[in-house]
Amino acid sequence: MQDIRLRAGAAALLSLAAFTSITGAAVVFIWWLIFSRPLLVLTKMRMVIPAIVLIAFFGLVLELTGGGGISYSLRMIVIILIGAWVYAGYRQGEFLKLGTWLFGRKTGFDLGLVAEMGMQSLEMMVSDFSTIRQAQELKGKHVGLRSIVPAGSILIHGALRRADETAELMAMRGYTNGGSYCPVFETPVRDVIAGIAALCMGIIAFIPVSEFFILYH
Amino acid sequence: MKISLKGLQAVRGDWSLSVEGVFTEGIHLVSGDVGSGKSTLALVLAGLLAPSSGTVEREGIASAMMVFQFPEFHITGRDLESECRAWDVDPANILSAAGLAGRKTASPHELSRGELKRLVLACVLARDYDLLVLDEPFSSLDCTEKERLCSSLSGRRKGITIIFTHEQACFPRVHRIWEISGGMLHDRGRLPSAIGRWDHAPAVVKNLIAQGKVPENISQADLLEAACRT
Repeated sequence: MQDIRLRAGAAALLSLAAFTSITGAAVVFIWWLIFSRPLLVLTKMRMVIPAIVLIAFFGLVLELTGGGGISYSLRMIVIILIGAWVYAGYRQGEFLKLGTWLFGRKTGFDLGLVAEMGMQSLEMMVSDFSTIRQAQELKGKHVGLRSIVPAGSILIHGALRRADETAELMAMRGYTNGGSYCPVFETPVRDVIAGIAALCMGIIAFIPVSEFFILYH
Repeated sequence: MKISLKGLQAVRGDWSLSVEGVFTEGIHLVSGDVGSGKSTLALVLAGLLAPSSGTVEREGIASAMMVFQFPEFHITGRDLESECRAWDVDPANILSAAGLAGRKTASPHELSRGELKRLVLACVLARDYDLLVLDEPFSSLDCTEKERLCSSLSGRRKGITIIFTHEQACFPRVHRIWEISGGMLHDRGRLPSAIGRWDHAPAVVKNLIAQGKVPENISQADLLEAACRT
């Protein structure tokens, strides 16, 4: 989806639908298979598979100890897939567009800017994490809990320092709040179809299945 | 002890780097513009990045280390003492050498980037690696520290040391100069004859050559000796 308004709206609706019930998760998964270009998403977002494995593991533990773990895992996995689809389609500047369109040139612009900076920071953190792992391997520190803590510490310190530097630079350049940005969106037909399909999936997820059969008969 | 790079290519999108060459024991300087592919080649030589094609053959190299441009990537300790121990070096000696004596309980994150760079370089140079790859080792250092680093590097007698830099002021005594330009690694040869073929040579070196005073090497002492030659 090129239009961030449709993508964000569909993602919010589909996530809610998937979280509500197993039926919701199932229909959202079907939507994901049809409209998200799954192979592209999975190859671009390599952390998706490990995240799914982790959720499945905790779901299994929950199922064995208290029950309900499998349902929880399946719903969460579908939400992760939706999140991966949103992130894989991200283009620089589109959250600024969305924020300004939703809440205007003052608050909306600021919120969009924060989201953009967050996304930029996330990309840098992914790249930094790979370098940290290489540096740790050189020092003979292999992957494990002991190496995750210092890596996390470096990433957080780095992100905070960058945020500080960016804030200072923006202040020096005279930024106080808001902007004069006029967002322009492109909405291809495929986006509209995918958006309508997401809406249908949401309706199916929120209306009990038995109601369909009553209407049918 | 050597590293042979045969028909090596590193490709990233439209950008590519072709490399052919042999790095033998001694100190090698690889210069090139920002974005020319120095860090990519450094990662390949350190064995941290697989080339798109070609081979990297290592002979007689039992230990390898690479120092990244940004020293914070190397941090694994909670304080400076444990950081030194993580490098398997004596904290008292290293902290003193890095000008950080008395700060052994400080967190590495409290240090400025320059201080942290000094610490990481002191830890690395205290050990004898068969292969030492340094990516922009002079960045974040002031002139005094650059000079100190140059004399430490010039003193390395064993192993292969490869310095990737676009530095234009301070250099250690090196054995061979390489340059990356136009997507290729060029071997400019051994010193002093390499100096005349060195496109990225600093202005001071080019001026000396223009005056017919070709320095023996590229360290400050060598440049000074050439400049004072009558």
